[in-house]
Amino acid sequence: MSRTDALAAYEKLPIPDTTEEHWRFTDLRGFDPESFEGAASAEIETMLDLDVSGFATVTADGIEIEKAPEGVTFEPLTDDNERLYSLVGWDEKFAAHNAALWKHGLLVVVPKGVVLEKPLYVRISATGQTFWRLVVVAEEGARASIIEEYASPSPDTEAYSNAVTELFVEPAAKLEYVSLQNLSQETWHFANHHARVERDAELDWVAGGFGSKRGKTRIQNDLNGRGATSRVTGAYFADGTQHLDYDTFQEHIAPDCESDFAFKGALRDHATAVWRGMIRVEKDAQKTNAYQECRNLMLSPTTHAVPIPGLEILANDVRCTHAATVGRVDREDLFYLMSRGLTRQEAERLIVRGFFQEILDRIELEPVREAVTAALEARIPQA
Amino acid sequence: MALLKLENLHVALEDGTEIVKGVDLEVDVNEVHAIMGPNGSGKSTLAYALMGHPAYVITEGRIWLDSEDVTELAADERAQRGLFLAFQYPHAIPGVTVTSFLRSAINAVRKARNGGADDPIAIPEFRKTLLAQMDRLKVSRELASRYLNDGFSGGEKKRVEILQMAMLKPRMAVLDETDSGLDIDALRVVAGGVKELVGPEMGALVITHYQRILDYITPDHVHVFVDGKIVESGGAELAKKLEKGGYAPYEPEEVPA
Repeated sequence: MSRTDALAAYEKLPIPDTTEEHWRFTDLRGFDPESFEGAASAEIETMLDLDVSGFATVTADGIEIEKAPEGVTFEPLTDDNERLYSLVGWDEKFAAHNAALWKHGLLVVVPKGVVLEKPLYVRISATGQTFWRLVVVAEEGARASIIEEYASPSPDTEAYSNAVTELFVEPAAKLEYVSLQNLSQETWHFANHHARVERDAELDWVAGGFGSKRGKTRIQNDLNGRGATSRVTGAYFADGTQHLDYDTFQEHIAPDCESDFAFKGALRDHATAVWRGMIRVEKDAQKTNAYQECRNLMLSPTTHAVPIPGLEILANDVRCTHAATVGRVDREDLFYLMSRGLTRQEAERLIVRGFFQEILDRIELEPVREAVTAALEARIPQA
Repeated sequence: MALLKLENLHVALEDGTEIVKGVDLEVDVNEVHAIMGPNGSGKSTLAYALMGHPAYVITEGRIWLDSEDVTELAADERAQRGLFLAFQYPHAIPGVTVTSFLRSAINAVRKARNGGADDPIAIPEFRKTLLAQMDRLKVSRELASRYLNDGFSGGEKKRVEILQMAMLKPRMAVLDETDSGLDIDALRVVAGGVKELVGPEMGALVITHYQRILDYITPDHVHVFVDGKIVESGGAELAKKLEKGGYAPYEPEEVPA
């Protein structure tokens, strides 16, 4: 593969429109990727206060490794990495754009058997056109956590962010991956996040979506070795005229694997969200146990949420379940809380907080749980 | 003026159907009043309307609380002024623990009474009071960290209603069918909890179909409520009479078709 091939692929592929099934609810009219060229870089404020073993910051100028852990590869990603493009190639418009133009990336390799107690953390500041690429390899029996945070230098930064993550969870390894998206509401964000989980390995993934204008986040997990498990916990909150799009794919290739995807989102004002889930169980993936869930809470009558679960099962001895809901704050619940003296806003806040609690309880890293909680709280109007 | 005063109160549903058809009632501190009526008489509607439920429209008349006209106030404002409703069917709020809910409610009331400025209760004081009240009402301590009413048994829900009342210290408590679904032990604990609070600081209005709960909380006044109106008032002996004779003598005579 060459950059030229990727660029050719990008140029050949049209910007998807709503006639394509996966883009039916995400209209990209008005988006011109070229219009964001050449903006200056800037630092961002972080959502997290963390004691980390490795820390990197990324701006349009490059990647800076501020702290690297001992015995673990934590370095700028180079073009010749053999794992590159093996999970996310250039067969899709935005993946191709990333493959063609990415400049700054991070390579993390946690060697066989190494257990990293403190998390790794990379912070990406999106300005102009930001193409970002992350490759993580947790080798056999290794354990590590990596937190990736996308943010903007200011709430009115206009940008085009294009991110690709390739995660390799080797046999019996355990990887926690946290992706927090807190971009400005003027940033178009396209992400392709893909993990491959091998025999007896475990992937625990947290996706937080709070910012961005419009775009799509694709999440794919391949359960590729017997006994692999993956768990994806998503929380999102959109307001104003934001539109969030999650496209998730649980690909069961090997037998005896488990995947559990649970998303909860709240919307207010004119915000909209689409969530598409697909569980595919290949014919050899017997004894698969797969679950997907997406629940939405509409805080204004003018919001709109479309959860679309999907199953494609080619094996005959599996357990697959899904749930999708769109609801409002119940008037009787509100009255019950208000009858105890809570104002309408306080009561609503409590109900929204309660709605997300189940999802927050799934987040193991405490600072991450706190950051996601705080990001959600910040979006519910103060009483 | 009595602490709670209803003046010719009329309540209708959102579609205009009149349910409560002119109620006059005064309940003071130190008093227990019972409103007794058959199913469908509008008792629960009266309770909800007193608390300010938006689905029940007050079409005529006034509600006075502590000499203040609260007819137009929302539920939270009535609660902040000391009105409390123990629900017949308490709502489950998943994800919100009993403890965090109670603290939020207490702080909301304190804030309102402090002219809108935060005045949060000190956490040690809150914990101490909560544990003492839970023990007194025989509420299992484990419930404090459970989500409010989520998966609670009928008896647990009713005890937690009274726990909320004990923590919020209202001036006027309205109990809507609090006895329904309670076994005799739970009824005794719940009624005892209410009785202890009635005094110079609080009055109570007990709304019920059966006189069972009144064996444990002796009312000072009993009002028979039929078809949206109080049709007879008397002392505690009226409840006994109702137990024997039922509500039939008060129901409008059926007109043969």
